[in-house]
Amino acid sequence: MIKLIDENGLRLDGRRFDELRPVKIEVGVIKNANGSAYIEHGKNKIVAAVYGPREVHPKHLLIPDRAIVRCRYHMSPFSTEERKPPQPTRREIEISLVLRRAMECVLFLEEYPRSIIDVYVEVLQSDGGSRCASITAISAALADSGISMKDLIVGCASGKADGQIILDLSDIEDKEGEGDMPVAYMPNLDKITLLQFDGIFSEEEFKKALDLAIMGNKKIYEVLRKALMEKYFKTEEK
Amino acid sequence: MSFKRSSIIENLRKTQMLDLLSKQKRLDGRALNEYRPITIRLNPIQKANGSAEVSIGDTKVIAGVKVETGEPFPDTPQQGLLIVNAEFLPLSSAMIEPGPPDEDSIEVSRVVDRGIRESQMLNLKELVIEPGKLVYCVFVDIDILNIDGNLFDAAFIAAVLSIATAKYDKKIVNEGKEEITKTPLPLRLIPVSVTSITIGDNILLDPTEEEDSVHDSRMTITFDEEGHLCAGQKGGSVGLSVEQLFKIVDLSKPKAEEIRALIKKVISNAYP
Amino acid sequence: MTITRYKVLPGDYIGEAPPGPLPTNTYKIGNKLYTLKIGLAEVEDKEVKFIPLAGPYIPRINDFVVGTVVDLNAFTWDVDINSLYMAHLPSQDVFGRNFSPTSHSLSEQFKVGDMLTAKIIAYDRTRDPLLTVREPGLGKVLRGEPVVLSPSKIPRLIGKKGSMAKIIESKSKTKLIIGQNGVIIVQGPPDGIVLAIKAIHLIEEKAHVPSLTSMINELLSKGV
Repeated sequence: MIKLIDENGLRLDGRRFDELRPVKIEVGVIKNANGSAYIEHGKNKIVAAVYGPREVHPKHLLIPDRAIVRCRYHMSPFSTEERKPPQPTRREIEISLVLRRAMECVLFLEEYPRSIIDVYVEVLQSDGGSRCASITAISAALADSGISMKDLIVGCASGKADGQIILDLSDIEDKEGEGDMPVAYMPNLDKITLLQFDGIFSEEEFKKALDLAIMGNKKIYEVLRKALMEKYFKTEEK
Repeated sequence: MSFKRSSIIENLRKTQMLDLLSKQKRLDGRALNEYRPITIRLNPIQKANGSAEVSIGDTKVIAGVKVETGEPFPDTPQQGLLIVNAEFLPLSSAMIEPGPPDEDSIEVSRVVDRGIRESQMLNLKELVIEPGKLVYCVFVDIDILNIDGNLFDAAFIAAVLSIATAKYDKKIVNEGKEEITKTPLPLRLIPVSVTSITIGDNILLDPTEEEDSVHDSRMTITFDEEGHLCAGQKGGSVGLSVEQLFKIVDLSKPKAEEIRALIKKVISNAYP
Repeated sequence: MTITRYKVLPGDYIGEAPPGPLPTNTYKIGNKLYTLKIGLAEVEDKEVKFIPLAGPYIPRINDFVVGTVVDLNAFTWDVDINSLYMAHLPSQDVFGRNFSPTSHSLSEQFKVGDMLTAKIIAYDRTRDPLLTVREPGLGKVLRGEPVVLSPSKIPRLIGKKGSMAKIIESKSKTKLIIGQNGVIIVQGPPDGIVLAIKAIHLIEEKAHVPSLTSMINELLSKGV
């Protein structure tokens, strides 16, 4: 078994238990989209784009009093260590679903009856926590599109490695560790919109992991705010 | 924002375009044989063996090369495999729907594939481990990120750059011991494709989506380093005269040299 | 009275909810008012005004729009107005009450692919917007180049009392037909059209910059 935390309490990439990997967000990267964003979270490199609200085709899918949301999370063939065939896997389909539910929590869908909002996520390079990084990118893209939303959403995982609760798991910590808990969070509403976990957690560890993930999310929220402010309110020339 | 819009070109736009072209003008102020700025980012994907992001104006694509091992095709037991696959990501345009590759993305894949294969950019014979049994497979995957015309050339430049800069784990048996070395792919030359469209009597290089939507015909020609024509693809539903075709070749050839110089400069800056 | 301007993101707290109806693009929890979009919130005493900086075009009655005919049947034209709903132009609006599908052909008036200017006369949450062309200045657009700008940036293109649009028109020697739905038709000589489109693209990128007017002036003076 690989030792994930050394005697000084440092992880393989030199982080302490409560440190995030570097996070970088850029808003408005896809010209054709109504809203878009790019995120680098650790080695994750992810693009999210929003099209709509727009007309629903075929018509029988429409809902008379609110908009429908469709989400597609997809990984590029070159995004993983071994080439991933382009057709969607069961994992990608499930993540698409949990991401869609996470964003339905904040969207004001009643404002756009009989329409559809399409959200596309492409993972160009994957690392641990790609669904969390995806929801952050999605929320930036949704805000950029100007679709009414009650709050922004940020995502960050916590987990357990070498018996310790740690923040923001990398690929290897996710694979070799004892537990993983992706959490997406709405900072102003103080509510959780996405939660999954696997591994064995005591009740105390579970609480600690959740607290830690929320703390990490609040830090990512600052990065997200800065990126949106940069795009919309930056006045000086580069 | 409407799906119906996809097949409809504003009649106004076509009239206006012809009016502009009669004065040898394009909407973005370019000359008819001028490309939009080409920007290149080498190796954005560390997990790929080689990768490149290429933008031509607002068209943006990213290509990644993965080198794996596998069985050769039965008809070419003495050659490694080259597989090119382009995907129009649904995030690239309001007109693209998720789903298996449609005819447009397959056309891009195949035009890029032919350009690379027929120019003999790679010496595939050097990618054999055990003839007929085990060879290296070079997968070139191209993501179309934003569509604004001329996907062929953007995809081609991205594919060429990611192949030219890729390094793969080559197994070498040295005195009975197996060693793995990071090795560049067996490169012979840098091919370049140039795409043009005709609208009436006018020939426009590097069309935008707006221009492409009113084209009569489209032509993509790939040139090797000696200026030979090594692959071509005509598109569009209007015929092309022989005279026009020769004119296109004359316009495309010097442009291919310009683009090749750019590609080589990018490579030599990154790997001096 | 002082006006306080806040730069806000979705979910930001702006203040106490004012009495009466909620300001657009806001929502409240209890007595607290929050934003739904990126934009500028102007708070003056108890009054809150919100200027969104992004968002789709939502039709409003009496809006002047520029659209493209995408389909027609015996009774209506379907018009794409760059919105989440397809707009409809009924044939009676063009042919009058005596309209009969046997004696009138809709494609004689507007063909698929034609562009037109129109006014929205009816729209609500349950029905697609209805258009009219029966007012002076409305109807088929015969020349010009269509350009799309984010609908939330149309006020910036028009400027205070039309000042920005006037600058662009006079310096590029063009005429702008500006739809509130974000579709603009630029008419004029080829050089002028190329220049005016450059100016519109600059507004798309720099709508929030206070010195936009001088940037536009500079761009237009440089010429093509």
